[in-house]
Amino acid sequence: MITMELKKTPFYQKHLEHKAKIVDYAGYALALEYKSILGEAKAARNTCGLFDASHMGQLVISGNKSFDFIQQAVTNDISQLVPGQMQYNLFLNDKAKVLDDCMVYCRKDDFFCVVNAANKEKVYNWLKQKKISGVDIRDESDGTALLSLQGPVSSFLIDDVVERKVSDLKYLSFEEFSFSGHKIVISRSGYTGEDGFEIYLPWAKALIFWDKILEAGRDRGLTLCGLGARDILRIEAGYPLYGHELSEDIDPYTAGLGWAVKLNKEFNGKKELSGLKEKASLQKRIGFVLKERGLPRQGYGVFFNGSCIGRVSSGIFSPNLEQFIGMAFVDRNILGSAKDIQIGIRDKLYKAEVVRFPFIQPRVKPSK
Amino acid sequence: MKGLLFSNSHEWVKIDHDIATVGISDYAQSQLGDVVFIELPQEGSSFDKNSQFATIESTKTASEVYMPLSGEVIKVNSELTNNPQWINNDPYDKGWIVKLKIKNISETESLMKDDAYKDFVEKEAH
Repeated sequence: MITMELKKTPFYQKHLEHKAKIVDYAGYALALEYKSILGEAKAARNTCGLFDASHMGQLVISGNKSFDFIQQAVTNDISQLVPGQMQYNLFLNDKAKVLDDCMVYCRKDDFFCVVNAANKEKVYNWLKQKKISGVDIRDESDGTALLSLQGPVSSFLIDDVVERKVSDLKYLSFEEFSFSGHKIVISRSGYTGEDGFEIYLPWAKALIFWDKILEAGRDRGLTLCGLGARDILRIEAGYPLYGHELSEDIDPYTAGLGWAVKLNKEFNGKKELSGLKEKASLQKRIGFVLKERGLPRQGYGVFFNGSCIGRVSSGIFSPNLEQFIGMAFVDRNILGSAKDIQIGIRDKLYKAEVVRFPFIQPRVKPSK
Repeated sequence: MKGLLFSNSHEWVKIDHDIATVGISDYAQSQLGDVVFIELPQEGSSFDKNSQFATIESTKTASEVYMPLSGEVIKVNSELTNNPQWINNDPYDKGWIVKLKIKNISETESLMKDDAYKDFVEKEAH
């Protein structure tokens, strides 16, 4: 049973109308699945899927020192951004472990950071504590709805709903669009590896937008997707998820996110991180495919030559590959370049093969 | 589902003389979500009533399946290995899991008929 304390997104009633199985996710009542997790994850790759991501935290950092402040807070280099562009980033704690990952949107006058729901309070308080004069930090999560429309057909649906074409929008870019007399923000981005859009709406316009998109998608294979499908899609794309591949015990190099760390600038945790890159952390994140049927789940052991060398962090049956796949952290030195590993599922060892990320090549639109 | 008997852990049994066919109920499969894998027992192995004999992996969880009756497994539905979705799509027919040589027919007395099971599910769902 869902208790009354769970927060509801503006789409909660819609989820119920569509017979969603509701679960508690970071304190929000969200849809785990509607009809079928596997069917939903396939639709998002073949046609398009609509996800309610309104639980995500949205922080606005403004003020004349906001650039300096964010640049110091995150690992990637936001000086690469011009207004209208966004970038994947990490916040590190004082031990160079990951506080959270986030998307930083560079706007004309401020920065908009989208953080994980479960980490929002933590990141907000951490930023507040680090705050310098000339910076203001606001939590806009409660007034903002977020829908994610993902899949090859997505752009046609958006075109039907907003007043001008989104076709010119590049990957990891965003613009304001007019919808029903209101300004909404649409970015070409997502968590699936497909071409897709994330749509930020004021609560007052959220339900109208939902209805319009559903209408536009009726005969085009639009499928409502829950958290289950979202997890499958992000694993297929090789993306980490906080609580699985990221945590305050994991540094960015171990997580395989060195590309999002720019050592040519200063940032919180840099000193503690330096040296790690050269030494190479003891563990690394790998992807693997099961060679026999069996479902790897978080916490299961990874075996090599008879000894346990790590743990599974995420595992699924991929409906798009029709294979059991997963991610794990393993001892880098013991594994070396070997490919043949085993996964301990209950009391048996299952053959698996180490593969490169991503499991499914991204089909996002080029960004430049 | 006329003629079937049900356990309170949501397995169904169809009795044909001394042979019982066993699967999981439509309610059980709807709670599991998409089934992606089933770990089946060996043919020839014996189980006591209420002991675990199979594991069903769905997109949501791993669930144990329990014997509604004691007996020896004389056949497993090995086609489920490549077609685990049959447990979702056709739980009472193509989705059967094992056939069992019944050891003690009196054990069926503790199982529910379809009407009683329907009430049982309604209570559990609320």
